[in-house]
Amino acid sequence: MLNLTDEQLLAQALAGDEDAFTVLYRRRQGPVFRFALHMSGSSHVAEEVTQDVFVFLLQRGRDFDPSRGALGAYLFGVARNFVRRALERNYSEAMLHSPADDEAQALVTEDDPADGIARHQTSTALWKAVLSLPQHYREVVVLCDLQELSYAQAAEALGCAIGTIRSRLHRAHDMLGKKLQHSAAAAPGGVSRVTARCAS
Amino acid sequence: MRCREFKHIAAPLTLWELSRPRDEQVLDHADKCSKCGGWLDRQQMLAATMQTLQARTAGREAGPHVERALLRMFRQVPFEAMQPVAAHRSAPIAWRLSRFFEVGTYVAVAAAIVVGLFLGVRLLEQHSETVPVQSRSAPANTAPAQVTQATGNATQKEIASSHKPHAMAAKRDLALHPVSQSGSTRQPSPAAASQSGDDSEPEYVALMFCDPLSCSSDAQVVRMELPAAAATSDRDVQPLVADVVVGYDGVVRAMRIVE
Repeated sequence: MLNLTDEQLLAQALAGDEDAFTVLYRRRQGPVFRFALHMSGSSHVAEEVTQDVFVFLLQRGRDFDPSRGALGAYLFGVARNFVRRALERNYSEAMLHSPADDEAQALVTEDDPADGIARHQTSTALWKAVLSLPQHYREVVVLCDLQELSYAQAAEALGCAIGTIRSRLHRAHDMLGKKLQHSAAAAPGGVSRVTARCAS
Repeated sequence: MRCREFKHIAAPLTLWELSRPRDEQVLDHADKCSKCGGWLDRQQMLAATMQTLQARTAGREAGPHVERALLRMFRQVPFEAMQPVAAHRSAPIAWRLSRFFEVGTYVAVAAAIVVGLFLGVRLLEQHSETVPVQSRSAPANTAPAQVTQATGNATQKEIASSHKPHAMAAKRDLALHPVSQSGSTRQPSPAAASQSGDDSEPEYVALMFCDPLSCSSDAQVVRMELPAAAATSDRDVQPLVADVVVGYDGVVRAMRIVE
């Protein structure tokens, strides 16, 4: 069962095979959850989106056409739509639910508390900067930089040309760099530490 | 290398490729050009921070309750029933629409029946109103004929057959020149007046008191022979031919002496 491709698992799951559905879910729920988490900044919204994506897959899975792209890209595309709906529905709630609070528990497990705090602050600043990007810039940053999809896969998921992905990503990087500079300048000590990491 | 060439080479690179550039020319230009060097530093800083953020969230997954909820739904709902979702959702709508049109059809048929009954009753009422008139006029129409048969030599049938073209012409005249009656006696026609002027004791066939006659009223013109012998002592006199206008009730309304 574990050797089967995503498409084969989907076909068996749609035929009523619960094991196939379980394997497919466990294989694909992580990227879908993290995509929704990075897009929304809320683990609650991410779980809701993940559940909605797989319910959608059960109900409309026969609409999936393997010739048009991989199942992973298809799931990202579905998740993207559910994230948009969730953010429109719970926009204020998601914004109030800060990534810093969401990830507070992860900070405790760091070996070096000082280094952990600095990295946490920097990455939290970056996450907030990503969340402040317009939707179409945020999508390409999350897919290409955080999910490490290729430009072609991101283009499949978002339904646009590769050149569009590239130009959006370039523009998003410029915006993020400026935002990070502003946040680093505002936080004393953050600039020197990050610069030291880059120099090394 | 110029800044333009630097941008041309560096722009297509991914964030991870920019964090560890291998192109010596790019690195040399970044060292020499502060603007391009600053841009490369920002990209490298961004890549490093992105790696940190990615590492922070790498192990994040949906909670086990999501999987349990999905599997519970997978087991509870019969899977064959989950496939045609659109069909199941559209079926009640189509059923409601069909029910709506079905009820609408019943209402339309019922309304048509009611309208038909109403019109039928109205037609029957009108028919019942006209039938007594005809039944009344039928025996009355025979009265002058009986008078004619009694007084004349020829029967009314013979008169009607022999004078049918004249009767039709008289009816056209009646339509063109409606007879006006305001009294119990009828004014004689010019022909009758000339005839009465010739006779020493002209007498007219007495007409009953009747309503004025109009063109639109249902009347018949009958050409008949009047018994002129009854009005004169001369037995050899020829009977008078007259056009008699008989109303729908059989009452003679007007009379014209033809010859």
